[in-house]
Amino acid sequence: MSVEPQTTAAAMSAVDYDDAIVKKFIFATLLFGVVGMLVGVILALQLAWWPANLGLEWTTFGRLRPLHTNAVIFAFTGNFIFAGVYYSIQRLLKTRLFNDVLSNIHFWGWQLIIVSAAVSLPMGWTQGKEYAELIWPIDLSIAVIWVVFAINFFGTIAVRKVKHLYVAIWFYMSMVITIAVLHIFNNLSMPATILRSYPIYAGMTDALVQWWYGHNAVGFLLTTPILGLMYYFLPKSVERPVFSYRLSIIHFWALIFLYIWAGPHHLLYSALPDWSQTLGMIFSVMLIAPSWGGMLNGLLTLRGAWDRLRTDPIVKFWVVAVTFYGMSTFEGPMMAIRAVNSLSHYTDWTIGHVHSGALGWVGMAAFAMIYWLVPRLWKTTIHSPAAVTLHFWIATIGIVLYVVAMWSSGITQGLMWRAIDDAGQLQYPIFMDTVLELMPFYAIRLIGGTMYLTGMLMACWNILMTVRGAPASAAAARPATAK
Amino acid sequence: MSNYTPDQVLGHSDEADGIEEYDNRLPRWWVGLFVFSVAWSPAYAVHYHFVAERSQAGEWQAEMDAAAERWPQPTAEAVASMTVTPEVVAEGEAIYKTNCIACHGPELKGGIGPDLTDATWIHGGSRDQIVATVTNGVTEKGMPPWGPVLGAEKVFKVAAYVHQKGGGQY
Ligand code: HEC
Ligand code: HEM
Ligand code: HEM
Repeated sequence: MSVEPQTTAAAMSAVDYDDAIVKKFIFATLLFGVVGMLVGVILALQLAWWPANLGLEWTTFGRLRPLHTNAVIFAFTGNFIFAGVYYSIQRLLKTRLFNDVLSNIHFWGWQLIIVSAAVSLPMGWTQGKEYAELIWPIDLSIAVIWVVFAINFFGTIAVRKVKHLYVAIWFYMSMVITIAVLHIFNNLSMPATILRSYPIYAGMTDALVQWWYGHNAVGFLLTTPILGLMYYFLPKSVERPVFSYRLSIIHFWALIFLYIWAGPHHLLYSALPDWSQTLGMIFSVMLIAPSWGGMLNGLLTLRGAWDRLRTDPIVKFWVVAVTFYGMSTFEGPMMAIRAVNSLSHYTDWTIGHVHSGALGWVGMAAFAMIYWLVPRLWKTTIHSPAAVTLHFWIATIGIVLYVVAMWSSGITQGLMWRAIDDAGQLQYPIFMDTVLELMPFYAIRLIGGTMYLTGMLMACWNILMTVRGAPASAAAARPATAK
Repeated sequence: MSNYTPDQVLGHSDEADGIEEYDNRLPRWWVGLFVFSVAWSPAYAVHYHFVAERSQAGEWQAEMDAAAERWPQPTAEAVASMTVTPEVVAEGEAIYKTNCIACHGPELKGGIGPDLTDATWIHGGSRDQIVATVTNGVTEKGMPPWGPVLGAEKVFKVAAYVHQKGGGQY
């Protein structure tokens, strides 16, 4: 555990980085990636073929849906972010993580929270707020563990051996601070029993706080930290300079300032006052350029490395991830426009938008990072490069099937709901008729989702084989070189 | 910035784990997009609220007015003078299927709401009484008021259908 105060290349290699914690978070990412996506595939099956609900209360769609969203967002994406953040801040700041005990409390505490979610949600114990379903005792544990993470994170920044904070770290910081604030304020409630509590807000206020949280959970968990990881792992993977420092500054500040106000776009055409709906809409429109700033900085960093696109599957993963980021951040602002939202809201279009961000951006970025990181952590090469390329294609085709099916389904559904015949009557007054029309799309989504899950399973196999084949000495924590 | 040359590294890389950064200018079209969206947004807001004076309630009213003009509702007298014919009952059945099945069942045998075919009526089984129940609803018991939703003519038709299915003997 020698920490050198200098910043010379020789001293850098002497820093004893904590890679054991990064490895743990990677294993957790893989495990919960499989669980979360498997539940996603089960949901897709249930929508295409209702008997898959099994007639048991614990396995019905209503109970498994929050299990899926919590597993993929907090367990899969969460663990992936923690792995990448803990790996990169040590290198960027040239110091070991602030405190090993805190790192381990963070890891085990987070996994314990996930396990309690996996039990409580199928039991039907819920607060009924989307993405904040977990009951108050679990919410309290999340707050505690998040504070542990924050201390460890800011502690590492405090003991850093460099002056300048690389752009990735600003993005991480925005996540650490904002998620804490959002989580605490949205979950303020009066406990009644161990399983039940009442929110301190009522009616429209409660809805507004909920979507202020919900939107920024997307913004500061599924977007900004992953942009931070992109700023570290993408240039590392292609060994090219980042396209523009000034673009990164401008799009960072614009993004975090504008994101916070856009929540009301989830409540268009509701009891929310008109002026706040307008606010949600215009802040979403203003988000296009700042979001695309991130996409541009990612894609333009690849200039001069396009030849690697053909040979290096990691570059392929990054290109698709960044492209889907650009697409979903164009689609989102369009859906926030009143006239578009009146068609898209309540339909599968939203589900398509969600998964082009989730599978395309978050998922592909996670795989790009993991495939780059694992061989370096275990000082070996990937077990099967061919399987990585195959994973890329299966996943990409899976996403396209999923998203195109949901766009078609969503627009069909929206148009059928509002269709009026010559006599001024609803053309499809029987709701069930509009549902049956969607069955083919649900089947296609099931195929796409199953392909994506298959890719996830291939990644697990490939990583496990890589780790098993790694030289034994690398298994023990060892000083790592920075380059 | 006169001596700007693209693709110059900043030289921070020893403080960024070896990652170099260029300080390239922002792409023109990107700046254009940003400026445009930031200018358009307040303009839209001012126009929506203060120039066009639009609102959600106003939008609803305008749609309802347009519908009322395109598909005029029959006057109260016209409804009062309607008679029950097989066509009216058939149309009533369609209205029933759309709006009432969820609570009263496809065969009118009840569910959330009561059986409408048996001889017991809580609110009276004459056609006029059914029209009144359906129009005003029994909100405290969970029967919605249909008058404002369906309009007098459709209420008349669906009531005719229910009345006939109920045996029509009252
Ligand atoms: C949301 C559920 C619901 C829907 C939809 C609904 N009803 Fe009802 N309805 C009820 C309930 C509950 C009652 C019983 C009220 C009471 O107990 O006083 C009721 C009562 C009635 C009665 C009075 C029965 C009696 O015994 O006096 C009639 C007639 C009736 N409904 C007709 C209709 C028609 C026609 C429609 C469709 C246009 C309709 N209902 C739609 C829930 C519903
Ligand atoms: C500028 C960026 C974005 C904007 C303005 C935006 C806007 C929107 C809008 C308008 C909706 C539909 C709300 C409704 O009708 O209910 C929505 C839903 C959603 N978006 Fe985005 N989006 C953006 C980017 C993203 C990204 C990158 C992701 C994922 C990684 C994402 C994830 C979601 C999710 C999960 C929902 C569903 C929320 C729910 O449960 O109803 N969004 N977004
Ligand atoms: C194999 C992959 C996946 C499949 C098959 C899948 C399937 C589904 C299904 C069927 C739903 C319910 C849709 C509905 O209610 O109509 C859903 C919801 C959702 N999924 Fe996935 N999913 C997958 C992966 C992911 C991933 C990786 C993420 C996030 C990182 C994600 C985030 C979400 C979210 C946020 C919702 C709620 C959307 C909303 O309320 O609008 N999913 N998913």
